[in-house]
Amino acid sequence: MNNMSPEVALHRISPELRPLLCSVVRNGRVGLDSTNCLRVTDLKTGCTSLTPGPCCDRFKLHIPYAGETLKWDIIFNARYPELPPDFIFGEDAEFLPEPSELPHLVQWDAGNPECLLQLVKELIQQYHHYQCQRLRESSRLLFEYDSLLEDPDYGHNMEIYAGRKNSWTGEFSARFLLKLPVDFSNIPVYLLKDTALDPGEDVALLSVSFEDAEATQVFPKLYLSPSIEHALGGSSALHIPAFPSGGCLIDYVPQVCQLLTNKVQYVIQGYHKRREYIAAFLSHFGMGVVEYDAEGFTKLTLLLMWKDFCFLVHVDLPLYFPRDQPTLTFQSVYHFTNSGQLYSQVQKSYPYSPRWDGNEMAKRAKAYFKSFIPQFQEGAFANGKL
Amino acid sequence: MMAAPTVRVSGIVLSSLMFQHVNGDGDVEGLVLGESKFEEQVTISDSQADHIHIEETYNIQKHIACHKLNTFYNSVGDIDMEAVRKLLVNNEQERVIGWYRQRRNTDQVMSFREKVVHENLKTSLSNPHMIFVLLTPSKLTPPGSTHKMEYAAFISRSRHFINVPILVNNLGVLEQLAYWKVSASCSATGYNLTMKKHGSKFFSSNGLLREVNEVNDMNESLQAELQKACRDVEESERRLETLQSYVSALRIRLREKRRSLAGKELEKDLPEQKNNLLLQDAVRTLFARSPLFQTQILTLQAFPVPHVHCGSEQDDAVSVTPQDSQSPLNATRTNGWKRQKETSEGKDRKRRKNQL
Repeated sequence: MNNMSPEVALHRISPELRPLLCSVVRNGRVGLDSTNCLRVTDLKTGCTSLTPGPCCDRFKLHIPYAGETLKWDIIFNARYPELPPDFIFGEDAEFLPEPSELPHLVQWDAGNPECLLQLVKELIQQYHHYQCQRLRESSRLLFEYDSLLEDPDYGHNMEIYAGRKNSWTGEFSARFLLKLPVDFSNIPVYLLKDTALDPGEDVALLSVSFEDAEATQVFPKLYLSPSIEHALGGSSALHIPAFPSGGCLIDYVPQVCQLLTNKVQYVIQGYHKRREYIAAFLSHFGMGVVEYDAEGFTKLTLLLMWKDFCFLVHVDLPLYFPRDQPTLTFQSVYHFTNSGQLYSQVQKSYPYSPRWDGNEMAKRAKAYFKSFIPQFQEGAFANGKL
Repeated sequence: MMAAPTVRVSGIVLSSLMFQHVNGDGDVEGLVLGESKFEEQVTISDSQADHIHIEETYNIQKHIACHKLNTFYNSVGDIDMEAVRKLLVNNEQERVIGWYRQRRNTDQVMSFREKVVHENLKTSLSNPHMIFVLLTPSKLTPPGSTHKMEYAAFISRSRHFINVPILVNNLGVLEQLAYWKVSASCSATGYNLTMKKHGSKFFSSNGLLREVNEVNDMNESLQAELQKACRDVEESERRLETLQSYVSALRIRLREKRRSLAGKELEKDLPEQKNNLLLQDAVRTLFARSPLFQTQILTLQAFPVPHVHCGSEQDDAVSVTPQDSQSPLNATRTNGWKRQKETSEGKDRKRRKNQL
């Protein structure tokens, strides 16, 4: 398989077919997992090798579906670009959709750049029906599907891939991919935009793999879009429970959904709490505030003086504040360590309660500063050098 | 019953198909003409039950190329029969056994539209047995110095498409291990004319070789002669059986007659012994059981020893002397001899006793 960027593919395709392919590689997001556009590989031509390029008119389209990647061949004819494309559905040789149920094939319009993309979406829909039909080979899995289908929260956002029977053991497996109806819109923007690439839509997908038809080996996995994963504290921050033995999806999926929702709520509340905390410190320390994180409210630096002794206090607020206690770093403005850094001491244990409001936390912090500074000053004089 | 389909094409037809399209600047397609045969083969074996299977053979004899793609079908695969008829010259619709497509740089599997068109073509031409020939030329080496042309045929069974091997006929067909049952078909006009002109020298009106008919006739004559000989043998056997039964009946009658004659002669030879008979009867009645006139074994004390029957006739013959036939005079002498013998023995015993 030769991976190629969309630009390379567009450069090599026959000019008459370029608009059709452009909409696929640039805007082609199909299915639940629409974080990435559809991918094109293996560009080839139906013309002779002596035909001058660009004249490619057939390629492989990689389509994410239910945790798998479908590799379909799409065959045009550069000599007859007005003709509709033909398809080879990879390993799914038995998938034969009804042509009359593909409106964009019946009314193929080569002049409409969206026509190919729409046709692919219609084929995916037919493919989904085909996979659901295959579930009939297992009554247990069919029950799982039917029960989810009745729930409007999950029934319309589900992809199923029914695995092939093992010719030796006769086992039948399936994978359910569900889009969880969790609202991520209130997550602070700053948490979402700190990612390398444009992640697209914020989505949480739950994949549940049934390795056998009797549901004795079930493996769930939660997929979050990169921004959501970062906002919630990374991949290790959220652990979903194991699928209960003898359980079913209609009970398990809402449970995972609630867990994720609670986590999101906690993150949102944490943001507001941090903002309140910073606001309270600004109010209490006024001119002593050197700087603070005005976007995420995760940092605050104070310049304070006690008996002509000036010092800095760096406050670091964790993601799950107020559950997790802020870290205080005291720093002398006079003394250096042997490594040339300003002498500092970190304090993680001090009087604190997550139930205090921001005002109370600021007052208690102030009181703590007063009690700790003499000790810090002594340490600075003893261990630091001017 | 199993169906084992094969597709046969002569080297000339296949090479002309490839040659026509190999340099085409795009995909091409067309119709395939020929004939299809279905023969029932029965395999008889000692070790298992008779095995019956149907052999499907598709002979490709000609192809008709379409000038452009999608000539006889639309975007959803519906067949345009008018376009099909236009492609066929002289209304050869019954000779259409399938269609073909050359698809460059693609996999050797049927595509979505090809499957739909194939099913619709079967329905439109009312022929459930049709083939689809797929040719896929491609570059074998990156510089393009070597190309390959793969070809395969497909037939559909209940909407499942199976790959059927294409066998190319040649002068020396290596896979032919058994006798040819039918000749390879040929649609060339010149061939048919030649067969028509010279065929009557070798073939009779029923299509068989003349020699075959004559051998059959000879075989029938032999069979008739054999049957006649069998009938003759059967008749003679029956006559023999009858004679034998007559002979045995005659023998029985002869035996009986002789027996009866022999009895009468015996009666004639014997003198009249009325008086003797009466006397004989009387003596027998009075003295037959008398111990005086019977031969007996006596003890030393002159007492008769009782007879002990051992159960055999011989013993009876030994122990019981036939008294009836012995005369009383003979019995006395016998007793005397026995008495003397026993007396001497008795004396010996006495002597021995005295000695003790």
